[in-house]
Amino acid sequence: MDNVTVAAPAGAQHTAGTTKIGWGVPILIAAGLALLVLGPWLFGGYLLSILIKAYFFAILAVTVDILWGYTGYLTFGHSAFFGIGAYAAGLMFLHQGFSGGTIALGLVLAIVASAALGGLVGWLSFYRGASPFFATVISLVLPIVATQALLSGGTWTGSSSGITGYETFAFSLETWYWISGGLMAVVGLVGWLIVRSDAGRLLTSIRDNEERCSYLGINVPRVKIILLTATAGVAGIAGFGYGSFSGVVAPELAGFVLGTELIIWVALGGRGTLWGPMIGAILISVATAYLSSSIPFAWQLILGTAFVLVIVLLPQGLIPLLIKPFGLHGQAGKIPELVERAAPETHAGTGPTALDMQGVTKSFGSLNVLQGINLNAEAGELIGLIGPNGAGKSTLMRCMSDGAARTAGSVHLCGRDIERRPPEDCVRFGLGRKFQNANIFETLTVAECLRMAGTTLEKPALFRRQPQLALPPYALEVVRKTGLDAKLGTVAQDLSHGEQQALELAMVLGLQPKIVLLDEPTAGLTKTERTQIGDVLSSLAHKYKLCCLLVEHDLDFVEEIATRTVVLHQGEIVMQGSFQEVVNSDLVKTIYSGAHPAGHEESN
Amino acid sequence: MEPALGIQNINSGYKGAIILRDLSLSVDKGEAVALFGKNGMGKTTLLKTIMGYLPKKGGSVHLFGKDITRTPTHRIANMGVSYASQEQPLFADLSIQDNLGLGLARESEFDERFADIEPIFPVFKSRLKQLAGTLSGGEQKMLLVARGLMMRPSFILLDEITEGLQPSVIARIVEALKWERQQRGTTMLIIEQNVSFALQVADRYLVLKQGEIIASGETDSAESAESVMRHLRV
Amino acid sequence: MALLLDWLSTAGILFIVASGLLMIFGVMKIINFAHGALLTLGGYTAYVVTQLDLAPWLSWPLALFTGILVGMLIEQFVMRPLYKRPLDAILATWGLSIIIGQLIVMTFGREVKFADTPLPGTWSVAGMDYSAYRLLLILVAVVLCAALTALLSGTRFGVKTRAVIMNEQLASALGINAGRIRFITFSLGAGLGTLAGTLITPLSSLDPAMGIPWLVTAFMLVMVSGHSMLSLMVTCVVLGACQMLVSTYTTPVLGGLSIAVLSALILRIRPKGFAYG
Repeated sequence: MDNVTVAAPAGAQHTAGTTKIGWGVPILIAAGLALLVLGPWLFGGYLLSILIKAYFFAILAVTVDILWGYTGYLTFGHSAFFGIGAYAAGLMFLHQGFSGGTIALGLVLAIVASAALGGLVGWLSFYRGASPFFATVISLVLPIVATQALLSGGTWTGSSSGITGYETFAFSLETWYWISGGLMAVVGLVGWLIVRSDAGRLLTSIRDNEERCSYLGINVPRVKIILLTATAGVAGIAGFGYGSFSGVVAPELAGFVLGTELIIWVALGGRGTLWGPMIGAILISVATAYLSSSIPFAWQLILGTAFVLVIVLLPQGLIPLLIKPFGLHGQAGKIPELVERAAPETHAGTGPTALDMQGVTKSFGSLNVLQGINLNAEAGELIGLIGPNGAGKSTLMRCMSDGAARTAGSVHLCGRDIERRPPEDCVRFGLGRKFQNANIFETLTVAECLRMAGTTLEKPALFRRQPQLALPPYALEVVRKTGLDAKLGTVAQDLSHGEQQALELAMVLGLQPKIVLLDEPTAGLTKTERTQIGDVLSSLAHKYKLCCLLVEHDLDFVEEIATRTVVLHQGEIVMQGSFQEVVNSDLVKTIYSGAHPAGHEESN
Repeated sequence: MEPALGIQNINSGYKGAIILRDLSLSVDKGEAVALFGKNGMGKTTLLKTIMGYLPKKGGSVHLFGKDITRTPTHRIANMGVSYASQEQPLFADLSIQDNLGLGLARESEFDERFADIEPIFPVFKSRLKQLAGTLSGGEQKMLLVARGLMMRPSFILLDEITEGLQPSVIARIVEALKWERQQRGTTMLIIEQNVSFALQVADRYLVLKQGEIIASGETDSAESAESVMRHLRV
Repeated sequence: MALLLDWLSTAGILFIVASGLLMIFGVMKIINFAHGALLTLGGYTAYVVTQLDLAPWLSWPLALFTGILVGMLIEQFVMRPLYKRPLDAILATWGLSIIIGQLIVMTFGREVKFADTPLPGTWSVAGMDYSAYRLLLILVAVVLCAALTALLSGTRFGVKTRAVIMNEQLASALGINAGRIRFITFSLGAGLGTLAGTLITPLSSLDPAMGIPWLVTAFMLVMVSGHSMLSLMVTCVVLGACQMLVSTYTTPVLGGLSIAVLSALILRIRPKGFAYG
């Protein structure tokens, strides 16, 4: 793979390499580290033991933030994994004694059991077409099942009183403080590296727009299952630590109440920030410990009220708001340099047909939306698909890009049968689909969106941010022609509509597809933008030999660039040919003027 | 005299895409105006903006003198506006009677209002309890028009309702609209691809292209049809 | 025979508890996590009535009224702003349930309490004696199902509500105030939740956390059953039977979990659950 550095265009704001972070961040980190190291000399025994437990909870809060704040999966049940870890410690040490072997075995058990359960829950919750409600409700059921399982374990699990009095580490309070604090720091750091990295942007992409992810070839259910399994394992480790420290494990540790408390800590602490939930968990745990004896009911009431207020009025959380004046903002990372990736040559006439549809039908019950569609397209062709509203054009696009869409018939993309496969597989066969409304990742920057597009070709780095962003030449053209190369650091939702459309096109092209589907690419564009996109599409087909298929209403546009025009009417292809042939035919004229061509009379 | 509908310099669109740019038009009381234009040019966006489905970004809309720029949809409907669109025609799982009656303020008015439209659309009389989804496409469109008429509106907005209808049904709808204008002087704004249908009903036409009005004229002249077709370039 | 009556009364109780939740979920498409707290509120209404030495029947209208009132406040101040953020709406209702729960604890304390039953004793059915109150609840469930179905299919309000559920934009274009429909259905659903709480309290005891297990069960029932009251009744009958069978042949603990677990599996396999079409 050749990486040729493209010279920065003259006049572009070259901010590559700069990082803007408020001055508050280093101070906060320093303060945190200081507290971690110096704690035993600053705090009394009681506070130390509270903090030790709070740090374990903070680890849990970090995992929940990654799942909910970053990936958009609302879970009330992550405590179950924590409880499993804690009971792994308790059960192992109680029944098998305390030794190097049991410690290791217990830890392994904690990790394996939680991760396995996490995988199972993931399989149950994340699948094609799953509703987010369902996943949340499953996460509700989980801690209840876990608690019941523990309660019915009789003397082996200690039932409702839990397990106590087992031999455990003989560390001093100070040592425990450093262990749990250190573990929290490590988890926090690793988590932070991951969410900031290129791979971490995947989480936010999923939260922002799952559909776009699948149309970029990303298997979203699999990513979520892996994520849940991994965070479950981490929660298990934290639980093991907690169980080892406290010497008492009770079913509440796996329960519903703790699970929902986690959500409260994350919401109040600031979802999607990682440090916010960490601080929130610690502060609230400490406050609860001190206040629950003096004002038990009022404290819970205050928490509940704060929670509701935050959700309704301040969704970004309390702590970010409180810290804002101290300059804790600007997580802008380096803006990568654009680099060209050589695209494989496609020669027209060789290789399998780009698109081959035979007998494709789509019906909803007795309503036939598409019937008997036979359509071929080759590399280098630019096909305009026209027809009145309701002719079935969007449905046709769907049938091309999603194996489950059609009712009957076959679709082959570049020689591969799409069968009933999901969109991510169709993308891997060479399909790229651009939607009518700009389907992008709203909270990601332009550069990050473009990098996501290359995921199937170039796995994003897990812990780093790559300094370079490679795109195929035609995607680079789009980015440069539309001025997006000067806006690589801009967040996508701040772009103009035309720029968003261009970004989506560049993302789709970043897939290096062999066939590109475009749904009304000129909708809402200004005259200049239309000309630009017309040039781009023409060069895609003629110069780079991609196969392009567009659904369009703007017949002037189709006339300019299409090599072939296909007319769809009432679910059937009624005519194909050059634009002039088609538009001047009597058939098409009658279709567009609204009267009925003979032989298509509607029966009552 | 105040126009029935006055639109001044509105911008509107979806999610950042500006489809209508600085559009102004007005419809006088009792007029019927046909709005032509190829798909994607903003016709449906215009009606949706008037009805309040889409927020207006700048500009204003007045209905019978009242500013409806920020009025919610149901209140606009209660001001006497009837909106029928092929995109959201009817409730397939509700009965014909329910579909016809939902737009009425009081259930008790049903019989009286139904008697109004029954001569024009006799097909519904014996099938009131039938589910609306079981009707044929043509009958469903007739249901749309009937529902609109039963509301005794002062303003009718129609969005491409003759799509896919056979000529006899279209003729019936023309008849219904003409009757309505004659009886009650209802103002109308009709979007159509079917040029001949629209020109039969309307007094005046406008052609919309890329969110702007590029042509207009009276419909009574013989050249109007050709002129419109030229603008549509089909 | 006893088994049959157990089954029917279990199904009836499940229906009564889930109906309010279905009403809200159907129209607003969100899950009201405060339902458990509303249930608890209803339970304590029965307790108050008992404490004041009033006829236990009085708790029914009192609970309904309280629930509707609380529902109106919640809809106005919490649901309305969160209309466009459904997952946050779930969270907010959960937060409300914490608030309501704490207020109850502050007022009544944490201990388990009891309320009088409006219908003590047993009735003779097919030669055996069975709890009269449980039999009454079967009747109540049937009446409730009939009444709600009639409300939604027969009345003008019901037609408007169904129109809003099917297509809110179109309903607005016909002059229907969707916001007001949501307000009314939420309040009604909340009232039903509180009423359910007061109805089930005489069966056992009440404490501040009684709502939570019912919450999960009701959700699973609603998610599996689809949109109509009738399909909810069917779901309750079927899953109620499963719960009973599991409780009888294994342990009651597993029985309590069976609805939740079965529903999860059903939905995973057939996302539409019991709804037709």
